[in-house]
Amino acid sequence: MNDRSAGGRRRRSSSILQVYHEPPETLEQMSDQAVVPNMNANWTNQKGAWTIHIVIIAALKILYDVIPGSSQEASWTLTNMTYMVGSYIMFHYVRGIPFDFNGGAFDNLNMWEQIDNGAQYTPTKKFLLSVPIVLFLISTHYTHYDSTYFVINFLATLAVVIPKLPFSHRMRFSFFSDIPEEE
Amino acid sequence: MDFDMLQARLGEIARATSSNFQKLPGSAMIVRYIQSSYQNDPVRSAIELVLVLFFIRYLMSPSYSTHKQNFVKLQEGEIEELIDEWTPEPIVADRTAVEEIENERLPVIVGPTGPKVKLSNGRTAFNLASYNFYNFNSNEQIKEKAIQTLRTYGVGPCGPPQFYGTQDVHEKAESDIASYLGTEGCILYAQTFSTATSVIPTFCKRRDVIIADAAVNYSIRKGLEISRSNVRWFKHGDFNDLERVLKAVANEQAKSGKLTRRFVVTEGFFEITGDVTDLPRLVELKEKYKIRIILDETWSFGVLGRTGRGLTEAQNVDPQQVDMIIGSLAGPLCAGGGFCAGSKDVIEHQRITSSAYTFSAALPAMLAMTTSESLKLLQSNPDILVQCRESIRALRAQLDPRSDWVVCTSSVDNPILLLVIKPEVVNARRLTADDQEKILMECVEESLANGVMITRLKTRPYANAIAANDWTLQPALKICVTSALSKKDIEKAGITIRHAITKIMTKRSNKAI
Repeated sequence: MNDRSAGGRRRRSSSILQVYHEPPETLEQMSDQAVVPNMNANWTNQKGAWTIHIVIIAALKILYDVIPGSSQEASWTLTNMTYMVGSYIMFHYVRGIPFDFNGGAFDNLNMWEQIDNGAQYTPTKKFLLSVPIVLFLISTHYTHYDSTYFVINFLATLAVVIPKLPFSHRMRFSFFSDIPEEE
Repeated sequence: MDFDMLQARLGEIARATSSNFQKLPGSAMIVRYIQSSYQNDPVRSAIELVLVLFFIRYLMSPSYSTHKQNFVKLQEGEIEELIDEWTPEPIVADRTAVEEIENERLPVIVGPTGPKVKLSNGRTAFNLASYNFYNFNSNEQIKEKAIQTLRTYGVGPCGPPQFYGTQDVHEKAESDIASYLGTEGCILYAQTFSTATSVIPTFCKRRDVIIADAAVNYSIRKGLEISRSNVRWFKHGDFNDLERVLKAVANEQAKSGKLTRRFVVTEGFFEITGDVTDLPRLVELKEKYKIRIILDETWSFGVLGRTGRGLTEAQNVDPQQVDMIIGSLAGPLCAGGGFCAGSKDVIEHQRITSSAYTFSAALPAMLAMTTSESLKLLQSNPDILVQCRESIRALRAQLDPRSDWVVCTSSVDNPILLLVIKPEVVNARRLTADDQEKILMECVEESLANGVMITRLKTRPYANAIAANDWTLQPALKICVTSALSKKDIEKAGITIRHAITKIMTKRSNKAI
């Protein structure tokens, strides 16, 4: 209803790629966001949530190792790819919040943008960025610097590192379509 | 000479550093890593180096918030100044002239309420101003049970339903209502008013579309407002208009490719017009346009249908076709609170997310017990409803076709008769809403002076509620039938009211001439 704001998304002529930013929240949205602590994002600050990344990566490595006939190179690359795809979906693809306490006030934000209420360079964000980078360095090392594996792993890493950077905060792309209008 | 010494010294430092470095745990690994990583591939090594450097820079950066500061920082002196300047607004606004008059003439009942009441000025009057249609109010059986429950359970449950507030009587009342209506489940709310206000935002959120009848009651309007949803309106009772809106919504959503949940909100008996919804048609539209129905049966539950099951029974609709049925236990059932009935999932969802359920103390045990007892009475004895309908017919016959001045907008089965001034009279005398309000107030007084207590529709809250653009509310007289009065008494009361209206209207017209 009153979600329309003066600085909202502006329509531009249709083109192949459109880049725009999510408009800032209205007062009503902000008050709805603050109704309860953001349970969708706050757990990432806990120790267990940090440890689980390492545990999952180790588990993935073991899983790919036990597949008969898999080489070390393939297993490291698969581990890397799986982690990158999984974390991309979790942090950057899915938007909103699975709980019904905010009347949909977080519907436009993905999880990365919800963590620490959108603040940048916080300890959790530093940790979550370091995991894919370190994993990439390790996996290129154990794939013996083979150039094909390197390219695959590097692109996958870029795909999760770039959306985590401060400049892509609230940045959206739309292909072959207009910028969605707020109702 | 000096130069050689310096070189030797530097060599020494380098050796010391390297041996120190080798003593560090993991240093061998780093050396091995760097040695093996170069691999005669300067481009790849450069990429990795840039990545590492960038990573180190990221780790070193100080954190900052992306939210703009949305307040002004004030100096100590400025704060003091603002506090001194500030004068508080009154918590309650001063009464308006109309409210002043209203308050002065408010009738006060002495003793228990019932079909005939004693007023504080010593006179007795017929009470046609309470929702006590079947006179369960003075039913000894219900009273007995309520007192018993009061003695065993105490007055309040002292906690929200999810926090030690739920007692066996609540669960019994819930299952009684569910089996009475024929729905999978039911949830009890502690207040009638907050039921609709809370149920709607529980299911609707931003970007969902709610299409509401233009004449829904205040409680629903509050719910629509809190839900943050996209609210559309259709003309009161006009399902062709509803279909037009549904088509428009379907088109918009098909074009934008964004499907949201869609709800239609309407009432059984409308609180402010008294007429009835055509539920079979609504269910037909529900199937066609894939919408969910929220039906507020606050005024029709316990009234419509052969055994009082409400609109679904009266119009032969399977209650499971309606997604949420909201109802009141405070009116004819003489208990208190409200309920929402629907499928099991719909009910269980409310138990954790509905604000009026989770944040409000549970219904007092005696009211839950009264609910069960009242329902039992209604089911075992449908004659109660037949009697009430006869009374409605008798009273209506005295008012609607016979009066020259008012017309009854209520449906024929509605025990609440809403009388509005005829449109031709309004047009001829150019009466504004305020004028009508004043006239009706005088009618209420005149009728009370002749021994019949009636009341008016409360229109003031609607001034601040959200509404469709072209919608206006017409002030009305509210007369509540009770089957406890004999046919003769009802007819007498009807004649009194009619004469009171005529007297006021003719007096007014004389004055105008």
